[in-house]
Amino acid sequence: MASVSFKNIEKSFGATKIIHGISFDISDGEFVVLVGPSGCGKSTLLRMLAGLEPISGGVITIDDKVINDLDSKDRDIAMVFQSYALYPHMTVRDNMAFSLKLRKADAELTNTRVANAARILNLDPLLDRFPRELSGGQRQRVAMGRAIVRDPKVFLFDEPLSNLDAKLRVAMRAEIKALHQRLKTTTVYVTHDQIEAMTMADRIVVMHDGIVEQIGTPLELFDHPGNLFVAQFIGSPSMNVLKGTLRQADGREWVEALGQQWPSLTHAQARDGQSVHYGVRPTDITVSASGNGIPAKVIVVEPTGAETELLLEVGGAQLVVVMHGRTAVQPDDVVHLEITAEKSHVFDGTTEKRLD
Amino acid sequence: MSAGLRKSRITWKMVSTEAKLLLIGIPVFLWTIIPIYHMVLFSISPRNAATSGRLWPKEPTLSNFSFVFQQKHFYLDHFWAQLGNSLVIALSVGALTLAVSTAAAFAISRLKVRGGRTVMNMALFTYFIPAAFLAVPMYKTMGNYGLLNSQWSLILAMVTIASPYCIWVLKQASDKLPWELDEAARMDGATAMQLFRLVYLPLMVPSLVAVGTYALLLAWNEYLYAFLLLSKDSSVTLAVALGNFLAADDSPWELLMTTGLIYALPPAAIYYAFKRYMVSGLTAGAVKS
Ligand SMILES: Nc1ncnc2c1ncn2[C@@H]1O[C@H](COP(=O)(O)OP(=O)(O)OP(=O)(O)O)[C@@H](O)[C@H]1O
Ligand SMILES: [Mg+2]
Repeated sequence: MASVSFKNIEKSFGATKIIHGISFDISDGEFVVLVGPSGCGKSTLLRMLAGLEPISGGVITIDDKVINDLDSKDRDIAMVFQSYALYPHMTVRDNMAFSLKLRKADAELTNTRVANAARILNLDPLLDRFPRELSGGQRQRVAMGRAIVRDPKVFLFDEPLSNLDAKLRVAMRAEIKALHQRLKTTTVYVTHDQIEAMTMADRIVVMHDGIVEQIGTPLELFDHPGNLFVAQFIGSPSMNVLKGTLRQADGREWVEALGQQWPSLTHAQARDGQSVHYGVRPTDITVSASGNGIPAKVIVVEPTGAETELLLEVGGAQLVVVMHGRTAVQPDDVVHLEITAEKSHVFDGTTEKRLD
Repeated sequence: MSAGLRKSRITWKMVSTEAKLLLIGIPVFLWTIIPIYHMVLFSISPRNAATSGRLWPKEPTLSNFSFVFQQKHFYLDHFWAQLGNSLVIALSVGALTLAVSTAAAFAISRLKVRGGRTVMNMALFTYFIPAAFLAVPMYKTMGNYGLLNSQWSLILAMVTIASPYCIWVLKQASDKLPWELDEAARMDGATAMQLFRLVYLPLMVPSLVAVGTYALLLAWNEYLYAFLLLSKDSSVTLAVALGNFLAADDSPWELLMTTGLIYALPPAAIYYAFKRYMVSGLTAGAVKS
């Protein structure tokens, strides 16, 4: 149980600076997910917290204690690696007991802790096997067991599910989430998969090129992305974005793009003629065969059962729409799009920041 | 039809490859086996029949072996002591070289100590100088330390000669261990020593066996340094003793060959016992992939 705080964290490898002053706090028991595209510095940040990478600037504290110069073994942090990093010459039992053995914990405590972890993770029948005799999902669970046994202040996960197949990944996602709800240990979880982030996190930290773009709960980020990057990164399929010009008249506001008028709420900071990015999520567009609205040509229809994904063309640009249920719409049909102003997102054309 | 043709062509190609291999293989095989055959022949022939030119002796005998084992010849007075010397020296060299090179490889490859690269370069560089060139300087050095005639001088000299290669091989093998294992162990609370003992060593066993055997055999087979650094009849190794057989004009060839055969057996035994490890271990260090 612990709170973690990053203050102005920087990291350089030689002359190249890859993390440019990151600050945020993680409260006790929270499940925080670091998400961002490949190479944005997620692992590096995590490894600095773990003590596996020296910190070039700034301060990391755990429970208000500065840990910058503490050895990783003294930080009381457990980490689950992407490659699992199980000790190949030890059985599952010995893998899990290893940290306690190093601490010279007495045999009884070790046994109960290992038995406990094995029960939670359904590893009982595998305790005497070697890692090479396990499947990917089982190895993953052993790696988690090794972390649980220690009862550490903080759990770290670095893309723990990326070596698993899609189905198992979904199952393990739920398992990790359930585990956290049960143990309530502060957790930092790194992934580049935004769905993993959305489904697991209490709070998401969106990173990009060594900075934090936005921090918030999954739904905050989904409903109010602070900038264009977050808007396009969070949500699947990703948000439709059109470049256009903002118009204001008679206390109304809309965006002109692709020769059409796209409805938006009024923004206090906005001015008439400002160049903007207009965003709308595929699920926030209503498609009707007739009636008014923006006309669009259907290019592809992709039914997935519960939903149908449409690829549409408006004025030479392509839009994605996700409809609930099924549709009779065919390619080359012309449909009409309706968007409620409340569901639109408008970002400044140059700073790409959200307009409020 | 065409499939059949292609098949026969492949077979022909295989035959020709086979033939070429045989063409190289047979001379190499003979080259290797003839001296061994001679050694065996001599060792089971009675004294006067050894050079009779027969392919197999008329009355094979093991009496040569009992001669050797009972030290019943002037040249064999110290046979058991010398065999013991060879053994002690080879084992010590094997153990010491392992200790030195494992520690060095761990420090350079896993702890990333500063200057590791330089050490590696120097290790490689030592092989530009033939060991024979260093014999005299080594002799002087051992003299300065007052170690001449002590078996330590030979042990230390052989460790010096064997270590660079062993460090090189072990470093290459160490580099192949996943780095995450070290990180996991460190996060689990392991000190560098615990990492070395509980994670590194168990995973390095195949390479350690290979390298240890290499050093052991190097010392077992060494003649030049043993001849230089040791002189008392009771303290020399069997290799030197074998050389001494040739000091006289009428060398007892059958005893020389018998002793040689006995001398060659332990390396062969070791080789077969550890063959499994040797191959994987030595190739593991040979290529950097
Ligand atoms: N040891 C290193 N030396 C030099 N540069 C490094 C080192 N480790 C990472 N980097 C660089 O730092 C940047 C961030 O790397 P990092 O591994 O943190 O990315 P990431 O966000 O975890 O990406 P991924 O999702 O691909 O794992 C990358 O551009 C990478 O090239
Ligand atoms: Mg990473």
